[in-house]
This record gives sequence, C-alpha cells and structure tokens, in this order.
Amino acid sequence: MRKHWILMLVAVLFVFGVFGCAQDAAPVDGEGDVLIGIMVPVTGSEAADGIDMENAAKLAVEEINAAGGVLGRMIVTTTGDDECDPSKATAAASKLISEEVVAVVGGYCSGATLPTLSLYGDAGIPFVIAAANATSLIDENPGWAYMINSTGDAQAAKAVEWFKNLGVESIALVDDGSAFSVDLKDQTKSQWGAEGYAVLAEDRVETGTQDFSAVVTRIMAANPDGVYWTAYQGLGALLIKQLRENGYEGVIMVGDGSSAQELIDLAGADAEGVYCTAPPVVDFLPAAQSFIEGYNNSFPREPGAYAGLMYDATYLLVDAIERAGSFDGEAVKAALAATSGFEGITGPVSFTPQNTLNRSNFVILVAKDGRWALAE
Amino acid sequence: MAETKQKAKTINPFGLAIEKLYDFFDNKTPRYIFMIAMTAFLIYLPLSSSRFTQEIMTNVFFYIVVCLGLNIIVGFAGLLHLGYAAFFAVGAYTTGILSSVYGVSFWLTLPVSIVAAVIAGLAIGAPTLRLRGDYLAIVTLGFGEIIRLTVRNLSITGGAMGLIGIQRPVLFGMVLNQIVHFYYMFFILAIIAIFISYRLHDSRLGRAWQYIREDEDAASAMGINVVSTRLYAFIIGSAFGALAGSVYAAKMTAISPESFMFIHSVMILLAVVLGGMGKIPGVILGAVIVTLFPELSRDIGQYRLIIFAVVLLLLMLYRPQGIWPERQGISSKL
Amino acid sequence: MTAWEVFLQQLFNGLLVGSFYGLVAIGYSMVYGIIKLLNFAHADIYMSGAFCGLVLLGFLTPYIGNAWLGIVVSLLISMVAVGLLGVLIQRVAYRPMLKAPRLSILITALAVSMILYNTVMIITQGQYKPFTTGLVHESFYIGALRMTETRLVLLIAALALMLMLHLFITRTMYGKAMRAISLDRDTCQLMGINVYQIVAITFFVGSALAAAAGIMAGVYYGTVHFFMGFLIGLKAFTAAVIGGIGIIPGAMLGGLLLGLLEAFGTQIPFIGSQWRDVFSFVFLILFLIFKPNGLLGRIESERM
Repeated sequence: MRKHWILMLVAVLFVFGVFGCAQDAAPVDGEGDVLIGIMVPVTGSEAADGIDMENAAKLAVEEINAAGGVLGRMIVTTTGDDECDPSKATAAASKLISEEVVAVVGGYCSGATLPTLSLYGDAGIPFVIAAANATSLIDENPGWAYMINSTGDAQAAKAVEWFKNLGVESIALVDDGSAFSVDLKDQTKSQWGAEGYAVLAEDRVETGTQDFSAVVTRIMAANPDGVYWTAYQGLGALLIKQLRENGYEGVIMVGDGSSAQELIDLAGADAEGVYCTAPPVVDFLPAAQSFIEGYNNSFPREPGAYAGLMYDATYLLVDAIERAGSFDGEAVKAALAATSGFEGITGPVSFTPQNTLNRSNFVILVAKDGRWALAE
Repeated sequence: MAETKQKAKTINPFGLAIEKLYDFFDNKTPRYIFMIAMTAFLIYLPLSSSRFTQEIMTNVFFYIVVCLGLNIIVGFAGLLHLGYAAFFAVGAYTTGILSSVYGVSFWLTLPVSIVAAVIAGLAIGAPTLRLRGDYLAIVTLGFGEIIRLTVRNLSITGGAMGLIGIQRPVLFGMVLNQIVHFYYMFFILAIIAIFISYRLHDSRLGRAWQYIREDEDAASAMGINVVSTRLYAFIIGSAFGALAGSVYAAKMTAISPESFMFIHSVMILLAVVLGGMGKIPGVILGAVIVTLFPELSRDIGQYRLIIFAVVLLLLMLYRPQGIWPERQGISSKL
Repeated sequence: MTAWEVFLQQLFNGLLVGSFYGLVAIGYSMVYGIIKLLNFAHADIYMSGAFCGLVLLGFLTPYIGNAWLGIVVSLLISMVAVGLLGVLIQRVAYRPMLKAPRLSILITALAVSMILYNTVMIITQGQYKPFTTGLVHESFYIGALRMTETRLVLLIAALALMLMLHLFITRTMYGKAMRAISLDRDTCQLMGINVYQIVAITFFVGSALAAAAGIMAGVYYGTVHFFMGFLIGLKAFTAAVIGGIGIIPGAMLGGLLLGLLEAFGTQIPFIGSQWRDVFSFVFLILFLIFKPNGLLGRIESERM
C-alpha cells in the first residue's frame, strides 16, 4: 500500500524536476545570441534526411557567424525533432516556440509539417520550409510559412513535360500510400489527363512489400509507354528491378523521393536509363561546389538531396532579417514575402502570393553508368 | 519464490530510509492530502509553465486516457488487444469528418463518436471473442490494420493526406484553440477515466472480468455470460479511446493515417504492461513514463525503442506484474 | 501477354512466393504445436536470416565468388547461425515463461521481435541494402512460361527443403517426439522424453528454415530491409492458420495456397492494390472465425 505512494511521490518529483519550473523564455532584445529553430526528423524512419538537413543548416549558420553574424549578433540553433509524425511535430514546434526562437527553418515530411503551420502562425514565428512540398500545405498555411521547394503540382508538371518530350502517350502510376506520394500521383494523373493522355494503371504498394509481381503483371498487361513511381527509393528499386526482369521496356521515371544515389545502388544494372524528377541536387549545381566542400569538411558524409535547399533556407532567412532590419516576426515575414530573386545555390528565390516558390525548381536526372546525371 | 529472493536483495540503507517514508503514508489522511495537493498542482501548472510543458503534460493526460481504456480490455478482462489505435482512430475520424466536412459543432460530435466506438467494439468483438487469446491478438492486429488502410484509401476520410480543417470547439462563445485549453480538456478526461476505471473495478462487471480471467469455465458455470461480459470490456475500452481520439482531432485540426499505426497500439500496450496490467495507478505511471521518457532522452534517439523492448522483456521475465507493487489483500480502495 | 501466359506466369509466381510463405509458416506451426506460442519474433528471424546471409556473402565473395556456390555456402552457414539464434531466444525468453499466463509470453514474443528489428534498423540506419549476387538474369522460356535460372533453382530448393522437413518429422525420432509433445507435453515428460531438448531442436529447425527463406527472398528480390519480416510474418501466419496451426503439412499447403490465392486474387479487377492487404486481413479473420482449425485441422477438445 505504502509503496504506491512513494512511487507516486517519486513520479511527481520527477515531473517537477524536469518541467515544474520551465518558463516561457524572455523575448529576444538587446544584445546576446539569436536563436533559430530547426525542425526536422532527427530520429525515426526519415532520420537520414533529417540529420542531413540539420547539418546543412548548421553549416550555413557557422559560415554566417564567421562573417559577422546577423545584424551584428551571433546565431545559435536549437533543433526540434518531429520524427516525421504529426503529434511529435506539434510537440517539437511547441518546444521551439517556448524557447522563443526568432524563426524556424526545416520541414521535411509534409504530413508532420502540416499541423505545425497554425502553431507557428499563432505564435507569429516565420517558418521557411526547405523540403516539405505537398499541396495541402499551401491551403493550410496561415501566411507565416514560406516554401522554397517546388510543390507537388510543379513536380507533376515537370514529369508530364518530360514524358511528352520522350514521346510517351500512356502511363502507369505507382505510389506507396504515403501522403506526399499520393499527392504527387494525383497531381500527375490530373495533369496528364488534362493533356489528353491516358493513365492505364494505378497501383499502390505497402512499405515492407518485396513482392511486386501483382503490380508488375498488371502493368505488363496494360502495357503503358511509361511508368512513374512517386515514392521512395527502397521500394522504387524493387519495382524497377522486377519490371525490367519481367521484360518491361518502356520508360521508367521516379519522383524526388527516390532521387538518392541509393536507388541506383539497389536497382543495379536495371537502373540504367531511369529518369528522375529531382529537387535541385547539389551535385549538379555549379554554385554549390564550395557548399559541397564545406559540407564534406564538417560532416562525415556527402550532402543529401535536400541539403542544398536547407542551406538556402537558412541563408534566405538571415537575408530577410537583414532586410527587415529587426528580429520582429512581422517585419521578417514581410521581408520574406518581398524576397525577389534571392540567389541561393539552388537557384533564385521569389515567392508567389501563396508563399510558394514562383518557379519550378525540378530538374530531370537520368541514371547513367551507376550515377545520376543531368538529362537536360 | 523469485519475488522473495528479489526483496531480500534490496535491503540496504537507502531502502530503510524509504521504509520510514512508507510509514508516513500508511494512514489515509496523508494519502488524500497528497492526492488533493497533486490535483491542485496540476490545475495550477499551466499558469506558470512554458507552452512546451503544457504540450507534454497534455500528451501525458491523453496517454493516461487511452492506456486506461486499453487497461479495461487487457488488464481487467485479460484480452490481448494489439489494435487499440483503431478505436482511437474511429473517434478521431468521426469528429474529423463531421467537423471538417459537415461543419458539426465539436460537442455534438462526441456522442456520435461514442456511438461509433460502440459499433466498432461490437463489430470487432462479437465475431471474435470466442477465439483463443493468441488468435484474438492477431485478429485485433488485423482489425487495426484494416481500419488504418481503409481510412487511408477512402476519400471521405481524406485519403493518405488525412483530414484537415477540423474545427476547434467553442465553449460559451470562446474558441478553444490554445494548448492550455486542451491541457484542461484532457486533464478532465483523464480524471473521468480514472474515476470510471475505479468504479468499474469495484462493480459487478469488474468482478465478473476478474473471475473470467482467473477461471473461464468456473465463471461460466456460475452463470456469467463470458462472451457478452468480454464484449462490454471491448465497448467500454473502445469508448475511452474514441473520446480521446475526438479531442485529439480537435487539438491537432489535422489527422492522418500515420498517427494510427501498429507501433502506436504497441506503445499503448507497453505502457499498460509496464505499469502493471489491471492496476490503475500502475497504468497511470506507465503512461507517464512512456510519454516523458523520449522527451528526457533526446540523445538516446534511435535506441529508445530497443531500450523499451529490453525493459519490457526483462519485466516479463522477472516482474510480469509490472512496476507498480501488488495490492495487499483484496482491498479495492484507493 | 495472352490470358494463358498470364495464367501460367501467375501460377509459377504463386508457387514460388507460396513456397517462401510455406517455409516461414512451418516455423510458426512447429512452435505453436509444441509450446502453444504464437512466436511474433519468427518473422524477424526470417529477416535476420536474410541479413546474416548478406553479411556472409559479402565476406565470402572474394574467396568463392557470389554465384551459386557462394550463395549456397552462405545459406548453409546462416541456417545454422540463425537456427542457434532461435535456440538462444527460446532459452532466454520463452523457456522461463512456459508456466506463465499466455498473455505474458505473447508480450515477451512481441518484445523479442522489437529488439530484433530495431537492432537491425540501427545497424543499417533504416536503409535498404542490396543483396548483390553474381547471378545472371537471362530469361528463357519453358513453353509459354518466362523463366530465369534463378527462379527455377529457388523453387526447387524451397520444395526440397520442405520435403526434407517432412521426412524429418515423419521418419526420425525427433520428429515423432515433436508430434508427441504437441499432443500431450506432460505425459511425454513422464515417458522420459527430454522435452526441453526437443523444444530447442524445434526452434532450431524452424528458425533455420525461416533463415533459408529470408536468403532466398534476398536473392530473388535483390534487396533486404529491416522491416521485411512484418508483412511476410502476417502472411506466413495466415498460411499456417489456413493449413491448420500446429500441423506441418498444413503449413506447407497453406503457404502454397496463399501464394496462389494472392497471385490470382490480384487479377480480380475491383480489388485494386490499395485494398490488397485489407483483403488478406479480412480473409484471415474470416478463416479464424469460421475455420480456426484450418483445412487439415482436427477439432481440438479442451480437457479439464
């Protein structure tokens, strides 16, 4: 009996000790470091890309600090781990907000980023979204978030354009049931249909599936000119292999979720000739060479597919603060909206009235000799 | 035998000091004062702590509600349920659809949510409660996945992207959209859940569950309808989950199938087992630990699940009754 | 492709995938038969086998290449290694729980499963790993059926393993002991059978077969992933239930049937691939409700 209450007491003291006295931090004014929040999945299934983005942001901050900081003050970063999960993301967002960050960069998983938009909006904190790009983010944005990665509809447009370029007249679409993958598939389907072409098959595979024979057989039976895979490289590689092994000879294209080198490594020889609608991957950006070197020097790995965007997001934010001349949320927001032709390593940035990038930043890659190369 | 061996090992000066403290709580008065003090503290907490703290504590209360709900099924009735997230999803999506698509006021969606939960509990329970424990486990897992995949495929539930634009509750003209509002909502829900759990435990139904757990055939011979008694457990547990889901939907304003996966069902089960199946204070403690642990140990990161699993394994091997100590005697009081 | 070609192709695909299911299902059946436990961790044993094979193959490639010879050697060593892993797990986690309530041992199995796949997740950082083999992929035709050497060998190997197991169960003393224990454990102990030893052997054999299936899947599909066990596990369990849990020929039959069902089932137009898993789960649940003893099962009466 008595032990119950001891444990209760211990539990309560435990909670006290950790949280009881935590207060909302005082607002930033006067001298002192500037706090910028990074919201990415550092743990969980998407940790590889999340850590990559965190690294890129930190590299940018390091460079900016070395050059004198922003408005004369040094930047300190704090990371909120969203674990690619909507509830964890809101907790991470709350944490960043209560730490009184001046602004936030990040956002990788669209599903997780979505509920945080209103939180940042209510708190008056500008949020530069580096990677998340599902179209649902546009509608739900209360106006404080700015997306520098082209959205799903832009990617679909690029895919449609390239298919047409190759003379493809009918396609099959395959997704993996995740929010962003289905979004891309829907966008592609409607745009392809609007052009007057046919979608001969639509299929879905679940994470963890190895056996694609059902999908492959259906695609072979429908015999489209092209196949577009809208999800990630693990399953994408399996699809490519099994399609080719079963004799499919049409065009295969993958979405930006599969733009990693890993796709080619996993699919082996079958990957040859596969196309990809990719985000601006730093390997092919002329302006990015020094970024790549800097990244390789600071971190034990190559920059990933979204590192460039995150780097730009950080620089853009700092640029906006400089233009606003203050750290005030409203001022920075206005400065972001007014961004015109900011030169990032991923290209120029200007925003549409919906806070999206006003150009499509997608490129077409082709797998050649075991690596990605620019196709256009 | 193993129990006494372990107790013998833990005698040390620290333990003796704790013994002294134990004596303090032997009386009822300190116990009640303690509970009142803690309740008062929790009511006061949001007024002087950061938003982050409020967010975390809201999660804690939410977890307490779902864990108590699962506890009714697993702890009281002894049925292994691996798909509890499905009940929580039913509540969340009911409120979600009614609110975002049809514009129904939040408070009105709550009774509908409970009805949906009852239907879900019946649908899952009625055909399957005759099955053996292990089969039931797989069936509940299957149902969990069926519900998740169904909401992901149908457009009325928003498909893979989920539902957005779920409206906030409005109370006496005030829109409840701050975290502190949900802190109190979940706090009240948790108090209700605790209260109902205790009342159930001491009721005829609660005792019926206990008899069935101890010896199904004897209970049946005594006239207890095993299947319908178990069905009650399913339905009530489901209702807890659905209510929690409805409030969750209003808090997040956007829900997606990714929040209702198998791993979430497992974590809720883990919390219940950790604290001690069937023991209400234990389940509460389990919920608190499972919610707070990741927040305190950011550096552990990826190892979190392994640590949990190892703890669970050790617990099952050496202390299957959970962390919370056993009640002495058959007392059912606080 | 003509309808006949599609039919033949699906028939073959179904048999091949079905034989993987069968090999894994045997493990579920054997363990359930002998200690009445649904071993959740079995699916992760399958996954561990695949990774063990991958590592070994990588290690052996410089010496014996990674064509069939390398694969077979890796397979055999992995089967033994993972078989021993199964025995270890059984000894540490399940044996102490044999007298505990069923709920506890099921949760233990769940915990073991989580430990296994999370460990592999951390080691691989969640990435898919290529299972590179030196095999050729040229296809040839047997009648109207498109075939590769790999697929043919895998199918034959899987069927051979199942046959060997069948002989083991029916012709050896160990097999007889296993069947006896699944009927009445206590009497067997009274009769002098070393139950613990037989249980250990059961786990060894079941795990070894699952490991073999894992490596074959790695060879066939070309990639391995820490979560590959989950889906296979559910399907193999479904197969074991269809055939009659605890009955080994049932597991094999169930596996093949499920493979064929899936292959042909996806041809049904209105069940799009998004609903495929729902379809499988519903099927499983209906089977459990209406025919819990499976196709080959006997009605089990509970003795008081």
